[in-house]
Amino acid sequence: MRFRVAVIAIAAIWTVGVSQSSVRAEQDKSVWDGVFTEEQAKRGEAAFAKECSSCHGNDLAGDGFAPALAGSDFLSNWNDLSVGDLFERIRISMPPNGPSGVTPAQKVDIVAHIMNSNKYPAGKTELEPKTEVLKGIKIEMKK
Amino acid sequence: MSRKSLRGSLAAVVLLAGIATVSVGVYGQAGSTNLADGTMKGEWPYYTGDVRGTRFSPLEQINASNFNKLEVAWRFKTDNLGTRPEFKLEGTPLMVKGVVYATAGSRRAVVALDAKTGEQIWVFNSIREGMRAGGAPRQLSGRGLSYWTDNRGDDRILYVTTGYRLVALHAKTGQPVATFGKDGIVDLKVGAVFGRGQPIDLESGEIGLHSTPAVINDMILVGSSFKEGMTVKTHNNTKGLVRAFDVRTGKVIWTFNTIPKPGEFGGDTWENESWAQNGNTGVWAQITIDAEAGLVYLPVETPTSDFYGGHRPGDNLFAETLVAVDLKTGVRRWHFQLVHHPIWDHDISSAPLLVDITVDGKPIKAVAQPTKQGWLYMFDRITGKPIWPMPETPVPQSDVPGEKSSQTQPIPSKPPAYARTYVKIPDDVIDFTPPMRAAGLEVLKRYRTDQSPFVPYILGDVNGRLGAINIGNTGGGTNWPGAGLDPEIKVAYLPASNSGVTSGSLVEGPAGFSDIRYLAGVKGQEFREREGPGFGSAADAPRSTVPTTPPAATTPVPPLGVDGLSIVKPPYGVLSAIDLNKGELMFQVPHGDTPDVVRNHPALKGMTIPKTGQNGAVGLVITRTLVIYGDPQVTSPPGRPRGAMLRAYDKKTGAQVGEVWMPAQQSGSPMTYMVDGKQYIIVAVSGGNYSGEYIAYALPDSAR
Repeated sequence: MRFRVAVIAIAAIWTVGVSQSSVRAEQDKSVWDGVFTEEQAKRGEAAFAKECSSCHGNDLAGDGFAPALAGSDFLSNWNDLSVGDLFERIRISMPPNGPSGVTPAQKVDIVAHIMNSNKYPAGKTELEPKTEVLKGIKIEMKK
Repeated sequence: MSRKSLRGSLAAVVLLAGIATVSVGVYGQAGSTNLADGTMKGEWPYYTGDVRGTRFSPLEQINASNFNKLEVAWRFKTDNLGTRPEFKLEGTPLMVKGVVYATAGSRRAVVALDAKTGEQIWVFNSIREGMRAGGAPRQLSGRGLSYWTDNRGDDRILYVTTGYRLVALHAKTGQPVATFGKDGIVDLKVGAVFGRGQPIDLESGEIGLHSTPAVINDMILVGSSFKEGMTVKTHNNTKGLVRAFDVRTGKVIWTFNTIPKPGEFGGDTWENESWAQNGNTGVWAQITIDAEAGLVYLPVETPTSDFYGGHRPGDNLFAETLVAVDLKTGVRRWHFQLVHHPIWDHDISSAPLLVDITVDGKPIKAVAQPTKQGWLYMFDRITGKPIWPMPETPVPQSDVPGEKSSQTQPIPSKPPAYARTYVKIPDDVIDFTPPMRAAGLEVLKRYRTDQSPFVPYILGDVNGRLGAINIGNTGGGTNWPGAGLDPEIKVAYLPASNSGVTSGSLVEGPAGFSDIRYLAGVKGQEFREREGPGFGSAADAPRSTVPTTPPAATTPVPPLGVDGLSIVKPPYGVLSAIDLNKGELMFQVPHGDTPDVVRNHPALKGMTIPKTGQNGAVGLVITRTLVIYGDPQVTSPPGRPRGAMLRAYDKKTGAQVGEVWMPAQQSGSPMTYMVDGKQYIIVAVSGGNYSGEYIAYALPDSAR
């Protein structure tokens, strides 16, 4: 009897453990883990200057209407969301008068530039222009 | 059954029948909708509840004891009502006769939904405006629509499209009323002029609207709106106007032009013939009406070029003026200019509030105007006389070449300011820690910081003085969502941003960009054209073909803040209540959870910081016992998922008595109604990664 209880208990713990880890796997990375490359951020900086800076400013400070994309206002707006959330918002609605005029590859480079401007560390892998993958990277104000 | 219990049962039956009759008679019954008392019947037939601007409904099923039990009854996403989702849904729906009506989507469609379930009844989305909408100054779905009925079966929805057309739809079917205008449409651009009276181009002429038409008797009143005026290409812009139309035919009944010509009253307030070379001065906020007195209250905005008035010397009537006009004729009865020669973008930003009060024993029919400035200006609404003195007060003067700022501005002596009117140094400066206070004072040394409201902009320079410190211009104070009042207890409830600190600087624009000498900007910093919120997002907005030149390397301007925090100390946003009979502040409480950036700030670790409230423009709804509105920002405090809260406050004390979770920040003002004995609250949410959604809350059946 005790043995069966133990087996059931172990099974339960294991099941819970597995389900927890699969939940965690959905967001097992954060912007602190080096999720873009310096090269990608550089490409993004050039694309940003061309496509985004007229409203969001080359300093990413916004203009009072277009929001800031770096600093405390940006972090407050996106804290606890994912890079995928940010990428998808940009993908479907930015720039306002022609979102399809900038390619997803350019847009994910721009996201890398935004990450870099918020002092998140660069790493060895580039951000992929795939919302469902980027949803696995959490934007966190602090480590 | 014993005699006693039989009598008890009978009594109970009679009592219940009585209650049922009362409820059925007062709330939510089909029947005539008299707009003047629709809220008394549990409806919400106008943007502000009633045409007096109150945002008040006497419903009390939802109260302090059950607010926390509210659940989502239904929700409506606006994603597909246009070519892409919208992220700034600002509408307040209406509810009349069991149907909710709202504007929605990046094409500004109109939807009719079952008020109990949110089930879509009809949608009207067939006006394709092309570039007329794509280049319009006021895009996305706007703030709502209006309702009219002849109380004999002819019910209509009236709204203004992105491309500035007035449309009348049959409320039952959503189809255009063929006999109104041309096939249900009146082209509002016809009649709009610039310069000395030249008609604007119907495609590219700049004029639009976000607010809803005012509907009274058989008339529709429509205002006018323009682009944000920080960096515009010409001071000779379209001229503002307000027009009254016949609700059946769409014919113009009267026009009120906000810029007088020479010889007309106020013509001498536009020196050097500047009346002929300036525009804007529209009425973009909500118009309110005293139907009994036959008076219409017009909140007028800034003239062309928000911050530089060198091309329009003089007081510039009727800019930033509260104007009362005759309902039948549109003739001005009285006016009061809140800001002379406007150069701070202090548009009168929201509905004038009408209330009957008693001051020192005397009954007064009053109008109370909330503002970006942070004062509630109160007048006798029949005569225009200020209820308490508003002395002309000397204010700092501009040193910008060509500018002639007004020597004085009227400043209300009562009621007291309900939000910061200027940044007091040192008292308002950030003070979480002594080093932060010192840093804040150091930052401010590079700005013009007269200790007065109305500090004029300067020619800022990245290598010198950066700008003039103001608070509440452009963003408020109280902005477009406005405020409200309880007409029964005579109290005004005023949401206000309290940390909208701005640095005011002007610079010569790039050669050939504009005929205005100075535009918003700082010398040594890249010049940027500022289009305003939502611009370019309309369904048919084309891709810009103007190449953006990468700017020359510029000296970075240090941020106006300390360590990523606001330069001013909390509260960042407040709910203020003013006793209108006494002209006194009743309470002022912070509104909104402490932003994450404060809560997570490394320098503030371990400190207990009282709730700071949030900066942001949000409007409210007032019921018999509660003031209800949501946070303008999202936060992720411990204890709840990331999101924003819809809050209920006690009307007498300002204590928060309840809150429910919303998945995104409030972006449109809430409303409330009752259908079949159940009370609902609808609020629009959107922003960040969350596209526009109307969410309806109600009590679960078990809790009612």
